[in-house]
Amino acid sequence: MNSQTETTVEFRTHRFDPQQKKPYVSVYTVPVRKGMTILDALVYVKDNLDETLSFRHSCRMGQCGSCGVMVNGTPMLACYTQVLHLESDVLVVEPLSNMPIIKDLIVDVQPFFETYNKIKSFLVKAGDESKTPNEFVQMPADLKKYWDLTLCTKCSICYSICPAAIDEVFPGPSTLAANYRFISDSRDEGSDERVKAMTGNIWPCTSCNSCTLSCPKEVDSSSSIVDERSLIIETGSIPKSVMDVLTSAFKYHNPIAMRPNKRMEWAKDLGVRTFPTVAQADILYFVCCLTAYDLRNQEIARSMASLFNRLGADFATLGKEEWCCGDHILRLGEKGLFETLAEHNISMFEKSDVERIVTLSPHCYNTFRNDKPYSDVGPQVQHYTQFVAEAIEQSKLKLHNAVRKRVTYHDPCFLGKRNEIYDAPRQILESINGLELVEMKRARENSFCCGGGAGRIWTEDATPEKRSCVNRVREALELEVEVMATACPFCVTTLEDATKVLDVEDRIIVMDILELLEESM
Amino acid sequence: METLTHDVVIVGAGIAGLRAAIAAAEASRRIDVAVISKLYPVRSHSVCAQGGTAAVLRDEDSYDLHAWDTVKGSDFLADQDIVEFFVKQTPKSIITLEHWGCPWSRTDDGKINQRPFGGHSFPRACFAADMTGFHEMHTLYGKATAYNNITFYDEWFVTSLILEDNVAIGLTALELKAGEMYAFRAKSIIMATGGYARIYEFTTFSHTSTGDGMAIAYQAGVPLKDMEFVQFHPTGLIPSGILITGGARGEGGHLINAKGERFMKDYAPEKMELAPRDIISRAETTEIQEGRGIEGPYGSYIALDLRHLGDEKINERLPLIRDVAIKLGGVDPVKELVPIRPAAHYSMGGVHANIKTETPVQGLYAAGECSCLNVHGANRLGTNSTSDCLVFGAVAGEEAAKHAFSSSLRKLPQERILAEEGRVFDGILGREGDERVPAIRDAMRCIMSENAWIFRKGDELNKAVKEIRTLKERFKNIRVEDKSRSFNTGLVAALQLDFTLDLAEVTIAGALARTESRGAHSRLDHPKRDDENWLKHTLAYYTREGPRLEYTPVAITRWSPATRVY
Repeated sequence: MNSQTETTVEFRTHRFDPQQKKPYVSVYTVPVRKGMTILDALVYVKDNLDETLSFRHSCRMGQCGSCGVMVNGTPMLACYTQVLHLESDVLVVEPLSNMPIIKDLIVDVQPFFETYNKIKSFLVKAGDESKTPNEFVQMPADLKKYWDLTLCTKCSICYSICPAAIDEVFPGPSTLAANYRFISDSRDEGSDERVKAMTGNIWPCTSCNSCTLSCPKEVDSSSSIVDERSLIIETGSIPKSVMDVLTSAFKYHNPIAMRPNKRMEWAKDLGVRTFPTVAQADILYFVCCLTAYDLRNQEIARSMASLFNRLGADFATLGKEEWCCGDHILRLGEKGLFETLAEHNISMFEKSDVERIVTLSPHCYNTFRNDKPYSDVGPQVQHYTQFVAEAIEQSKLKLHNAVRKRVTYHDPCFLGKRNEIYDAPRQILESINGLELVEMKRARENSFCCGGGAGRIWTEDATPEKRSCVNRVREALELEVEVMATACPFCVTTLEDATKVLDVEDRIIVMDILELLEESM
Repeated sequence: METLTHDVVIVGAGIAGLRAAIAAAEASRRIDVAVISKLYPVRSHSVCAQGGTAAVLRDEDSYDLHAWDTVKGSDFLADQDIVEFFVKQTPKSIITLEHWGCPWSRTDDGKINQRPFGGHSFPRACFAADMTGFHEMHTLYGKATAYNNITFYDEWFVTSLILEDNVAIGLTALELKAGEMYAFRAKSIIMATGGYARIYEFTTFSHTSTGDGMAIAYQAGVPLKDMEFVQFHPTGLIPSGILITGGARGEGGHLINAKGERFMKDYAPEKMELAPRDIISRAETTEIQEGRGIEGPYGSYIALDLRHLGDEKINERLPLIRDVAIKLGGVDPVKELVPIRPAAHYSMGGVHANIKTETPVQGLYAAGECSCLNVHGANRLGTNSTSDCLVFGAVAGEEAAKHAFSSSLRKLPQERILAEEGRVFDGILGREGDERVPAIRDAMRCIMSENAWIFRKGDELNKAVKEIRTLKERFKNIRVEDKSRSFNTGLVAALQLDFTLDLAEVTIAGALARTESRGAHSRLDHPKRDDENWLKHTLAYYTREGPRLEYTPVAITRWSPATRVY
């Protein structure tokens, strides 16, 4: 076959020798022509440069799911990705994570396939209908309801990057999506048993959305999990820890069973104004339950308030009329309660008549932006990192003090993966004098969840080794940084907890960007 | 070496293998079934089947019509008794998958939808968008893994079959993860390892389609049938050869030459783009050879035009091929012409087996593309292969279970097992030769593509068979660079090369002997079909000197061979 070489690309291939149990790296220079896939390049290496390089491959058209690998930190099917589209002269190729490596790029996918034993992957019928010689009737619209979920190739990419799948109690994103595929199939009558089978093991999912974002077939496992939780909640048989969160959000309008009249205690002596005491303000400062009530996070709430003051911003909070935004509640599957919370908050937004809301938490930000009914109405929403980055860019904020620290930044999933805000937090950190920002191996789109989303922060019960926050802090420790910065109260809480679990509080501290900012001013 | 024992052992876990496993497991809970596959089942090539599965489901259609279409498509080489049985079983296959949850595409009133397909005179291709094989596979896998009496040996590579007194008694397999060899004892063995189109360079097939089961049976002394009949699919995507389903033409796609003409009017004026594959692939080749191909960086090609179908229809009916064309062909079929040319696609030939999938060896069965029963004759109709896998996969499972009930296990001859261990580890893995596997493999593909492609000539085939034999000699002097045991993909490649060299040789030998043109086998030096001398099946038997050919008659029940016009 004719081919014209366009360029050469260096493939830094991570390998593993099973005999010596030794990882090593081989570097190959591959002539790349237009249209060449990562898999074509690996085959080129094996045929021409190094016959010992080991990897799986078969259909080379994205259907068999054999060739999942990590390329420059992003998991993908090697056969479904063109080398030139990655626009890089150097490609680091690694095996998929979260599964034991057998050899080179070949991981042991057996544990992944075994997760399917937890579900029934065929139609369940109550009667003898399956013995009839006739087809069932299914209208095209009913087929459409589950069709997208049937496209999963079982490539294991979602499982390889899932923070919940570290704990084998959790069946994994694709298996739960497969379960929901049958629940949503109008021909199926096994919904009750399918829901029941997930009752005890669906909760570790943090709704980080990594599975959905990395799926080569765009299967939305993350949403399927939420929908399955809704069905479980309807049955009423849910773990106590989940029940406590929901009950508290229902009774106290916050998930942590705090009294609503204590919601403004963080602002004692700060003179923060609240609606409706003030009739008008430019900015509605939406604080978040965790920052309002949790002692550690209250510091962050206060930092934000003083920042507003320093900028001369006209802001107010909803005071005790701020109810939980409902992001965690929605992702735990309690859609009705979420709507109640949302309706209250929306009515408050309308009364306050502000043009802009600034949130401390990426979770509030996300749900205001993306979830109905919030997304249909209301003012412009900004996460505080956007607000601050804007102020720095417009030279409204002067950062006088040097902060001579080596810092890494952990992307909160609800800021990054769900809303693609990767740059604003980094712009802030980079504008602090003396601060040295270094990136973890898994950053931006490939960031690894802290394990706090979808109510997990309150329902977590895994052993330390199986907690994603512990894994994440270890990753930061490798960089020998003094500070692990983030921009989310939930990430602050889980990561700080992990430093205690690992007993490394003297080596690394977890800080919100706001706290670093405060040091720099 | 450890020996594992099961009643029924199935080699291969594609559509035929999984369907066989379920049928055997359902025959009785007491039947202990094993499925051995070099891949995890859902990695099998069956997931690449796209367009549909043929079945007579509606009153307006008939078994007779499906049978006639199949026989005519086969250029009268199909065994008609088997075709008649086959078409009557197809509806049940579809309904069974429906009951297990296959997401068939639907008509507006909620019934299983069917689309037109090349060579069929009724729209009888049941489909699940353009991922029919994929959905059938995942449906079967979901069902098969629920049986307690099926054990899966995933990523185990079968190296040889053990026969004794013309009875299949076991096999040897390499467990890839640790690299250890095991022996299996069984009462019944089913070969269902698919096709071997990877003997060619430009192919629609997966890297792993190397015809292992055919070669293993052949090397053990079981004859292969009609191996000269290789189907070339009219629409292999350039540059990779990836399949663009015939369903694209079924939905109304056109084939266009450099002059912008729908050239099929000159070859099959009535059926046009819905003529059988052999006829279209020859037409495309003629267009290209006579200078009416479109010039591109990878040589002359033909264009598949889907633009007039509109994005809505393409997204609903052909979403996979749109995605594949964009990602791997660099063109969007909604807006652009898709560059294609014929690609090696399917083997009508395979392990000689009868209507019950029995091979001449007692206890050995074959199903799916690995087998040749013979349903497809000299040219298979699109969508009949997945039907074949479903129908005869089930037959094989049932027959194998029945046989297992009435037979007993035998002791495996120890010297035979040791010899196989020696062949694989000392011979192939331990050999310190200076020939490289990829070089011989590429040379084989080149020989096959140049001499045993769509149009063939006696002198070229003669040359090719000698060249393949030279490669077989060179193979004896290979060196596998990776000397370790664990997941040795180099060793697997060498074993597969050994298999494909034999299969290439048999293909050429059959093609050289058959001095006529029939279906997919076109001899430029013998351009006519010759019913007087060649209305017969080729049987190839392994000998050290190369295949020994014998012939066996075609079963004609109702349809006398006639001129084949579309």
